[in-house]
Amino acid sequence: MSIPGLGQIAPQQPTPSTTRTITLRPFWEWRFQVPRSSSTTNAAAGATVRLISGTAERDGTELALNRAYTFPRNTQSKLLTYTGATLEVSGDVVDRVAQYAAPEDSPQLMVLNLHFALQELRAAASKNRSQNNHLDDNNGAGAAVGSSSMPAPGPRVMICGEKSSGKTSVVRTLAALATRAGGQPLVASVDPSEGLLALPGTVSAALFGTVMDVEDPAGGFGVNGTPSSGPSAVPVKLPMVYYLGRERAEEDVPLWKDLVSKLGSSVRAKLAADEMVRETGLVLDTPAMTVAKADMENLVHAATKFAVNIVIVIGSAKLHNELQRRLGNERTAHGEAITFTLLDKSEGVAERDKEFMKFAREAAIKEYFFGDAKRTLSPFTQSVGFDDVAIYKIPDDSDFYDNQPALEAAEVSAEMSHWTLAVMNASVNDPPDTIRQAPVMGFVAIADVDEDRRRLKILSPVSGRLGNRPMVWGRWPEPYINLLG
Amino acid sequence: MADNAADVAEDYRQALEDLTVNSRIEIATLTNIARENANHGFAIAETLANHIKKVPPSRTLPALYVLDSIVKNVPTPYVLYFGPKLYSIFMGAYTKVDNATRRKMDEMLKTWKEPVPGSISTKPVFPLEQVRPIENALMAARNAAFAAQQSSYQGQQQLMRGRQPVPSRETPTPPTARAYQPPPQQLPYSGTNGYRPDAAQQPYPTHPGSTPIHHRATPQPAPVAGLYPPSQQPAGQVYGASQPGISIDKLKDDIQQLIVAEKAEFAQDPLDTSKQTRLKALLDLQMFIQSQDMPQDQLMAIRDRVAALAVNIRPQPAVPAAGAGVAAPSAAFPGVPYMNTPTPPVVSQQPTPVPSAAAAAVVAALARPSSAAAAPPPLPAPGGGVSIDSIFGQGALATLLSGAARKSATPQPTATPAPQPPPAAAPAVPALGPAATAAIAAALRSPPQRPVEPARPASAAPPPSDPSALLAMLRQSGLLKSGSTGTPPSAAPLPATLGAFQSLAGVGADRSLQLNPASLKIFRPHLIAKLHEELGPPCSQCGRRFKTDDESRRKKTAHMDWHFRVHQRMTEAERRGQHRSWFVDELVS
Repeated sequence: MSIPGLGQIAPQQPTPSTTRTITLRPFWEWRFQVPRSSSTTNAAAGATVRLISGTAERDGTELALNRAYTFPRNTQSKLLTYTGATLEVSGDVVDRVAQYAAPEDSPQLMVLNLHFALQELRAAASKNRSQNNHLDDNNGAGAAVGSSSMPAPGPRVMICGEKSSGKTSVVRTLAALATRAGGQPLVASVDPSEGLLALPGTVSAALFGTVMDVEDPAGGFGVNGTPSSGPSAVPVKLPMVYYLGRERAEEDVPLWKDLVSKLGSSVRAKLAADEMVRETGLVLDTPAMTVAKADMENLVHAATKFAVNIVIVIGSAKLHNELQRRLGNERTAHGEAITFTLLDKSEGVAERDKEFMKFAREAAIKEYFFGDAKRTLSPFTQSVGFDDVAIYKIPDDSDFYDNQPALEAAEVSAEMSHWTLAVMNASVNDPPDTIRQAPVMGFVAIADVDEDRRRLKILSPVSGRLGNRPMVWGRWPEPYINLLG
Repeated sequence: MADNAADVAEDYRQALEDLTVNSRIEIATLTNIARENANHGFAIAETLANHIKKVPPSRTLPALYVLDSIVKNVPTPYVLYFGPKLYSIFMGAYTKVDNATRRKMDEMLKTWKEPVPGSISTKPVFPLEQVRPIENALMAARNAAFAAQQSSYQGQQQLMRGRQPVPSRETPTPPTARAYQPPPQQLPYSGTNGYRPDAAQQPYPTHPGSTPIHHRATPQPAPVAGLYPPSQQPAGQVYGASQPGISIDKLKDDIQQLIVAEKAEFAQDPLDTSKQTRLKALLDLQMFIQSQDMPQDQLMAIRDRVAALAVNIRPQPAVPAAGAGVAAPSAAFPGVPYMNTPTPPVVSQQPTPVPSAAAAAVVAALARPSSAAAAPPPLPAPGGGVSIDSIFGQGALATLLSGAARKSATPQPTATPAPQPPPAAAPAVPALGPAATAAIAAALRSPPQRPVEPARPASAAPPPSDPSALLAMLRQSGLLKSGSTGTPPSAAPLPATLGAFQSLAGVGADRSLQLNPASLKIFRPHLIAKLHEELGPPCSQCGRRFKTDDESRRKKTAHMDWHFRVHQRMTEAERRGQHRSWFVDELVS
């Protein structure tokens, strides 16, 4: 007789395979991966970790002592300690401990020191404000040349690197450490493949003034960190989102550049307007880039639009040199010179395969509509006539040419089923260009298309009519067949 | 009438959908609907069986309680309808719920083999031939999984029974359903046998005094005496956080009993190192408590742990002996001499995890140390919310004790569990923290692997039990600024990680950080504290740190209030349903 899951009924005798104790010494890392599926029936559960003693953090956010943290399926991350830690681990997890003989051997030391260097610059920016000294640009990284009337904000850091170099982890860590130190960093991502606090296919930015959700698969930077109509156990973040609708910037460079400009100017306006934010500055995540000319131009564009004054390149000296060559003589909008630094790539960066990325994207869509284990959300399903909604689609790649309209009215068809559409913060009467570049209000999923009766079934996070907002049908994220299944 | 039956079934299905928490009133209402529509009983039984099958695990228990209530109050015709399907309903539910719920189900199953208390009939609720297959299946599964431990059950059970004063006919339902219930909430249904005494004292909400329910709900004198033992203290006592004081003798006694139980376990299986470790930990704890004068709050926390541990030992003897071991479950209930435990009943009683989270918030709001450990996470852990490690929290105890040890040894101002010093380092040699911490933490932990440890601390380490000496030494070495603000003494060992002294020269030469790879690669040990102690002690719920100056204190209070409110509101929101909001179109804080 075997009853699934019954093996756990006598918790008094945890078998060694279910609960383990892991002892970490300073700067060691516990790298773990929660498998996507498992042989046991308890499919929803992931791995549970408890910090028994010492301190440990995930991407810069500290774990509370003796609290059980459950990492859901498909999580791939690490817990790091600067002081030594004992962890108690149970559940389905593939892991290993990265041991370093001395802190100098750990790739995280550079990230940590980078944080402290940024903290010095933030302190300088704060002093700069209090002295209200226009003549002397006290920014440690910049030169005292050509100061504008506004004192320069705190550091704006752009993180670049090739594929799987650990960019996003560094971005998250720097942001979390800044928050931990009491700052309010702006975090922006211009990488549409994953999405920051939003679904894939977007570029977005948000303020991170509160603690991040350690249990989130994306470490608190996933879509589940955004507000719902109810309370949230971890403070929510409010992202500003633009919809590219493509996986990679190269697929629609003009639009990507336009959206980067819009996001950049919002960020700069925020930096100018809010004192706390101004001091702490910005951390900018970028798409994986090579030294190819087109990629370089995109990076230079992003750096300019976000007034970046520190460029961090991870792992690639070539990329570092090329960026320095192109940006080295530039000045930011505040008149500072740009500083370039090369960081070592952590050997712990895991290659994330296609399946992993797909699972993560689908999990994000599901979380957007239905919430996660901690917060169950109930989206609304509504049935609307084909003519009651305004759906636009991005023109096909094949007939991509310069004077093409940004959007064309889409004919509703069964092809649209299971796609996720962006709802734009614009009016249906706006011209296509305006709609295309409008901020995103949210997303809907097309649950079903009934061509005979000319009706659509739409899954929407918020109830109410959708007819007065234009919706854009992009190519990314791709359809999620099992969203309702 | 076919249509009519379908309507009734549909109405009933919808009513069941609304049943999300263990509410006695709702369950009574659902029972009454079932009674009034007994002519459509089959449809209702089908609906309920389907509902139990489909409902998410967190709501399974209330649904099962509806079944329980119906068959006990309206046995005809429902026992007939449910009987044949009982096995599949019960086992289906059993496989999907967590351990706490399973325990409740075990208790419920047990009552099905007995007559309904207070009824004239002497027949059991369900015929034994329908209950027995379930028991057999459960037992077979457990036996398969825990054959090794089978032998130890006996001794354990003897132990438990030895101090069991309640009559063996006692039903397992917790007696004090009301005691720890926040007043505005609905009362939980805690098994028919449990709610009847209550019902007798409070008018039944639906049809007071007029329905058979009420009539039958009148408790027999005997169970009541059992349920409310005279020694029972007022309700407030049950709520751990609000209890003003606890008896150290009681605690010692509890620990002693646990040790006896644990020894019996250990004797059965001397090769099991985990039992050995646990026994050792208990012995250490006992010694510690006897030799130390500890503040009230820490005693309370220890008692909670001990209580939790006792609860955990309990299911072992109780479960396999589902028929005979009826006495055991009440071991953890207040008022019974064996144990005086406030927290565990709350945990195990509530079928949904949310109330316990709210309780956790209360606890947290009172800023008790290591309250996070006392509170289960908002969702049951995958292995079931009540694994020994999740409740007892071996490390939690270690940390707690270390907190106590530190407190007794140093003038540390607060009792908050500052991050436990890691293997605190003396020059190039890791030494453990205060002796007591080390002893107990080590005992509780499985032997830590320390592959690269160069030497045992004993030879080279300074007296580890005297942090102030270590502090002074570090000051001398220039690692710690002598005027460093507000750093508690326990913080001192932290910067001195392995290799600190080797790189000391480097630090002196290049203290200022430059944004270049060479400078970024230099280890500056003094900076580590900036991320930890210098930010103040962490919030026990989320790990966010708050400094100890007045303004930060205010912030922390607001922060804890926020945690508390959120826990509260999440309970409501779960019931009401919530949805994702639209994004904003500008950058706002």
